[in-house]
Amino acid sequence: MAVILLVEPDAVLARTYRSALESCGHVVRVAVSAQAAVAAADEQRPDIVVLELQLPRHNGIEFLYEFRSYVDWQPIPVVAHTMVPPGDIAIAQPALREALGVGVYLYKPQTTLRELTQKIAEALEAS
Amino acid sequence: MAQQNRQTDQQFMLTQQLLLSVVEQMKLPLMQIARQTELGLCDGEGLETIRQSTQAGLRLLESYTLGVRLAQQQTPLLDMEPVSVSGVLYDVAQQLQPYARAYGVALELYVDGRHGPVMAHRQGLQAALVSLGSALIETIPAHEPAGNALRLSAHRCRYGVVAGVYGNLPGITTQALRTGRQLYGDTRQPLNAFLYTSGAGVFVADALLQAMRSHLSASRYQRQYGLGAILPVNPQLRLV
Repeated sequence: MAVILLVEPDAVLARTYRSALESCGHVVRVAVSAQAAVAAADEQRPDIVVLELQLPRHNGIEFLYEFRSYVDWQPIPVVAHTMVPPGDIAIAQPALREALGVGVYLYKPQTTLRELTQKIAEALEAS
Repeated sequence: MAQQNRQTDQQFMLTQQLLLSVVEQMKLPLMQIARQTELGLCDGEGLETIRQSTQAGLRLLESYTLGVRLAQQQTPLLDMEPVSVSGVLYDVAQQLQPYARAYGVALELYVDGRHGPVMAHRQGLQAALVSLGSALIETIPAHEPAGNALRLSAHRCRYGVVAGVYGNLPGITTQALRTGRQLYGDTRQPLNAFLYTSGAGVFVADALLQAMRSHLSASRYQRQYGLGAILPVNPQLRLV
């Protein structure tokens, strides 16, 4: 069982993902924006972050820069699970993976719930 | 001839951009349906979510079809007719209420005073407001601490009657409008603008209103901030 911080701005999708992850035995905290995600992480340290890059006001990249600036959050694995196609941020990918510690990049429309839960399990195991 | 070609090119580009933005936007309801069915929790609530997502997708396609039909006309203007704003808002509220419920948004209808008929195209106005409303319903829960309330409202202004969608967070609606307008130039947004807004819905609404000689504009009324269309009141219609 792990504490998952799910950063998802769409309320309907957030409900669905939450149910799926909870059915795997995880504790899921949902945040709808970058600010809410930082506050949620501060309240309860997550074991993993599942992050949508398209967020209101401050986007996911900005969130990652802030998140990684805190030493005790640096080892926390982050799974980018996003509507942004990988090709759109091809240049940014090495930066994402190395500097911001995004271990897994999943294109949301093509990622099934099973794949998502599997990747989360792998990332947790690797960490 | 050259000017005509330029106009045709512009119309073609607009239609293409509209299509791209609608395709991008369609991913959301389809994904909601796919994940919900995959989850297998198709109880009453799950089925209702699927139904609402399907309706949202169909509404978007309907608005897109109307937009394309307008763009293909020689004169891209809709036939205007006397329309009751409160009647249109009531119909829009009826259509959007279940969708708002699915997103946990309280949608209220507020018509300040009695307004005579305005000059508009009923179907176009309704489609534009539904498209705008859907876009803001999807977006507003992600803006904490906005509260989850939207208001479909009509009120008088110096130039006519303003019909639009309002919320209690300054900036959200102007941001939505800005993102929607950005789609005129570029459907895919650059990295530094990975913002979560339903630009396509706003884009479609704006395109529909432009075909009615109107457009979306940021508006403020009774401490609420929103996007609305200014609809002209024909003095002759006041006798009706």
